[in-house]
Amino acid sequence: MAEERRDDGIPGQALTPLVEVSGLSVEFGGIAAVHELTFAVSRCEIVALMGPNGAGKTTTFHLIAGARQPGSGRIMFDGRDLAGLRPDARCRLGVARTFQITQPFQELSVTENVMVGAMMHHKRLPDARAAARRYVELVGLADKADAPAKGLSTGQRKRLELARAIATRPKLLLMDEVTGGIDQKSIPGMIELVRRLREQGLTVIMIEHNMRVIGEVADRAIFMNRGVKIAEGTPADIARHPDVIDLYLGDAAHG
Amino acid sequence: MFQPLRLNALLTAVVAALVVLGLPLLGVGSYVLHVMILIMIFAIFAVAYNLVTGYLGLKTFGHHAFFGLGAYGSALISIHLGIGAWASLWIGAALAAAFGLFIGLPILRIKSMAHVAVVTLAFAEIVRLSCSNLKGLTRGELGLWGIPAFQALHLPLVGEVVFSPANKIGYYYLAALLLGMTLLATAVILRSKIGLAILAIRDGEDAAESLGVNLTRIKLGVFAVSAFMVGVAGAFYAHYVGILTPSAAIGADLMILVIAMVLVGGLGTFAGPLVGAVLLTSSAESLRFLDQYRLLVYGGLIVLIVLFAPRGLASLRLPGRRVPERPA
Ligand SMILES: Nc1ncnc2c1ncn2[C@@H]1O[C@H](COP(=O)(O)OP(=O)(O)OP(=O)(O)O)[C@@H](O)[C@H]1O
Ligand SMILES: [Mg+2]
Repeated sequence: MAEERRDDGIPGQALTPLVEVSGLSVEFGGIAAVHELTFAVSRCEIVALMGPNGAGKTTTFHLIAGARQPGSGRIMFDGRDLAGLRPDARCRLGVARTFQITQPFQELSVTENVMVGAMMHHKRLPDARAAARRYVELVGLADKADAPAKGLSTGQRKRLELARAIATRPKLLLMDEVTGGIDQKSIPGMIELVRRLREQGLTVIMIEHNMRVIGEVADRAIFMNRGVKIAEGTPADIARHPDVIDLYLGDAAHG
Repeated sequence: MFQPLRLNALLTAVVAALVVLGLPLLGVGSYVLHVMILIMIFAIFAVAYNLVTGYLGLKTFGHHAFFGLGAYGSALISIHLGIGAWASLWIGAALAAAFGLFIGLPILRIKSMAHVAVVTLAFAEIVRLSCSNLKGLTRGELGLWGIPAFQALHLPLVGEVVFSPANKIGYYYLAALLLGMTLLATAVILRSKIGLAILAIRDGEDAAESLGVNLTRIKLGVFAVSAFMVGVAGAFYAHYVGILTPSAAIGADLMILVIAMVLVGGLGTFAGPLVGAVLLTSSAESLRFLDQYRLLVYGGLIVLIVLFAPRGLASLRLPGRRVPERPA
């Protein structure tokens, strides 16, 4: 999969990972939220980021997307050091993210929300609107396209987050618990969507608690606890890892 | 919301424009024209303030600084450099915009609303105190007088248009033109990509930024445009009244009045600042007979409106007219 996409045609480019996080640390009030985190994600890979509450998963996303500055460590993206770049600049380079605590633009309609993301690649507003409509349909919100975002349910807001993010046509998509709050019967559709996005060349890191989703789409999983990576491997490996079972699956499997 | 113009809105705008343009033809007195001119000056100020506070969501309390900068800038330039008011007005406004950029840079990085409010208010106080103390230049509270009026114009069809205290029609139409330009510029901005970014920033800065919106560029740009508009209002005011004092042109009560107008009319609505400017300016004038009780009644009126129409008068619907249902 990873070798199929050489979007810039530079030999060897496809072999270097799209994202390389090394020695990333940040602390809040003296407590390490992320500590010496190192991992890499290849082009067109889907990686699940797992871990119990407070493990530092969302913080890792904040750091990659530029919403927080790391205390130390480095993030390379597409051959560039992201240090010092603001979130909008990172978005222009191809990093998009959804928010775990959804942040819809309340006073705008669903389509207008997505237009904000689509504006980046469309000079004219009508073009941005047309593109936004397509993304709204893609995530299954077509019937809400003109409704104000403030009336959406949790699951619909998660879909909106996703539509806005992919409207920026990213290379890397950071999905923070997008299946949380979505009704069970729409989950297969979501999985299908993520697969299709990957076929179009997208790389995905997804924070996900649902083992079924992880098993079905993720090529690899990274497990964190208290800011530290404690396991990495195929989803099946992670599910068998003794520390993971101890920390997480023990109660999550029943809950 | 960021939507295509509705027909009623367009009709209302056309009717309002016709009323404003036709009023002097009805032979109304000089006093009515004066009140209308004040309304239009305040309307420009309120529209510009609403752009920053209502739409962008940046709660600033120092916009009267830009009114004063436009007023004193244009007045001093036309007095000392012999440049006519027609040109100095734009220079004064540009000066206000330059200061807008200057003060905009530091405040945009501040996340706390209260701090933004204090910093902008302090900035305006500094501008006012500077104008008070630079007596050699501004004559301080004694008042800067001898500000040249706009030179007479020779227009085809209309003939000579004069600008004098005795004949206010020229000022009236110039104020209407400036207000029209302000409204047009505001509408164009709001309905463009920048307008969409502005609304996104108001509803969620972090989300907007994560979607590629450059917060600094949009906020600074909008702030400078708003300062420019307020500068235009101030400069026009200077050449209209012909005398400036720091307390009248840069006083905090000016800002408070404009904030009241925007709140009463409807923060973040297009028509709100206009409704507020009309209502508060005309009621302030018509309550003059109450003498020392005037401010009491006036304040009570504002409190009542804000209590019973918290989203402003412009957001109220006439009874009997169906409100378009918004799915909640
Ligand atoms: N802004 C902040 N200030 C202080 N502490 C914070 C802040 N943000 C996160 N933390 C702390 O950092 C740690 C990691 O939080 P993070 O949100 O990254 O966890 P998470 O893995 O996403 O958890 P969850 O599954 O609950 O979403 C937690 O202990 C959290 O309390
Ligand atoms: Mg989280």
